[in-house]
Amino acid sequence: MLSAEELARYDRQIMIPEIGRAGQEKLKKARVLIAGAGGLGSPVAIYLAVAGVGTIRLADHDRVDLSNLNRQVLHWDEDVGKKKVDSASAKLRAMNPHVNVETVDETITAETVEDIASGCDGIVDAMDNLPTRYVLNKAAVKLNIPFFHGAVRGLEGRAMTVIPGASACLRCLYRGPVSQEKFPVLGVAPALIGCIQAAEVIKYIVKAGELLVNRLLVYDGLNVRFTEFRVKRNPECEHCARVAGKE
Amino acid sequence: MGVKVNLHLTLRRYADDREVVDVEGKTIGECLRNLVKMFPGLEAHIFDKKGGLNNTIEIYLNLQSAYPNELLKPVKDGDEIHVTMMLAGG
Repeated sequence: MLSAEELARYDRQIMIPEIGRAGQEKLKKARVLIAGAGGLGSPVAIYLAVAGVGTIRLADHDRVDLSNLNRQVLHWDEDVGKKKVDSASAKLRAMNPHVNVETVDETITAETVEDIASGCDGIVDAMDNLPTRYVLNKAAVKLNIPFFHGAVRGLEGRAMTVIPGASACLRCLYRGPVSQEKFPVLGVAPALIGCIQAAEVIKYIVKAGELLVNRLLVYDGLNVRFTEFRVKRNPECEHCARVAGKE
Repeated sequence: MGVKVNLHLTLRRYADDREVVDVEGKTIGECLRNLVKMFPGLEAHIFDKKGGLNNTIEIYLNLQSAYPNELLKPVKDGDEIHVTMMLAGG
């Protein structure tokens, strides 16, 4: 049940026919895991919080570093050295006191991921490395939780939404391990991709519009160009091949 | 007429900053091998030492994923290949 204050707070989005009061109630009841409180996690968390997603579970094991501040906008100069989940949760609670922020100051591994993701309606991939993205993807498929992928480098980025059993997953295109790099990035790239991920989460929760399902959206920020590629399930995929198709 | 190869942003620096290169070939593999003949600096970024694709490379043919066995997929005049790279940053 939305309070009078919540109805006033969310008035402009309740006016959107695809959301309405019923959609706002769904947002309030939802719990979303944001895996990573960095460049992508910041805009995702901000826009899910101000939209009124009832519970945001934020997972990150890191502390704020000065070099994070060009893009990780939930963390400010005064936060350097603090745990990212503490820095981020304080801002999110101040933005919207109606949102419950759960923090997980743990490393996401194959052993911990299912506990971290349990009870969530969606998992947002806001990581900074491929191995952990695959750990999350595998858990999302196993637990039948939608997975909202995003990644960036420099002035570019990409996003895709995975509905377990019904769409290609992140692992469907896997060719083999890749070496990790210290990646360049301008803050506007994760800002844009993170907003797309947040929009996907909201659309999924309120059941509106068409998701980036079987569609990989690639953003070239240098030339301001979006390209959409069609992807398909890999029948040999080691993560999702054995998952039955369902909407 | 040939086949157009669209290069991922990161790869363009090895191809005189060109975004699109026209090549000839009957398969994706032939097209990409002809591409790296024109721009040898691209080779190490697209192919591994055994001549397969690097693990970071994704290939799309007419905006559809060409995975798996991308290099063997036939192409015809007017087709477009996109060579993109996986991204990991956040």
